[in-house]
Amino acid sequence: MAQLRQDHELFVNRDVVVVVVGPEDADSFAAYWQKEALPFIGLPDPKASVLKLYGQEVNLFKLGRMPAQVLIDKEGIARFVHYGHNMSDIPSNEEILALADEINV
Amino acid sequence: MPRVSLNQPAPDFSLPDFPGNNFSLSELKGKKNVLQVFNRAFL
Repeated sequence: MAQLRQDHELFVNRDVVVVVVGPEDADSFAAYWQKEALPFIGLPDPKASVLKLYGQEVNLFKLGRMPAQVLIDKEGIARFVHYGHNMSDIPSNEEILALADEINV
Repeated sequence: MPRVSLNQPAPDFSLPDFPGNNFSLSELKGKKNVLQVFNRAFL
């Protein structure tokens, strides 16, 4: 999340809105956003409606949800979809930014 | 479990953000790209 914050300007420059969805409630989001000074849109999803809609993987043996990233273009088409297989399985910002450059052409 | 497929329309949804404003994916259509990040937890 810190890396994402550091590169946020680069996403904004590419017309990318960063939206973070998580299973915590609104109070937890507010506390975390304030603590970390995050510039993203935060969507509490305690009922996991969007998490399920997007098929975020839940691995009971690894005690929780695996990270996932989806880049959606201005036409609403998913142009990058990554479902992590473990907690550190997160694509680099460079990879996503390069793709954002491509879809903005 | 359903998954989003590459180069297919992303499922639309609406959800309040944490200050309580409504967020709708379709409202950004034609205006912005969106990077959706699904996290496990704030660790």
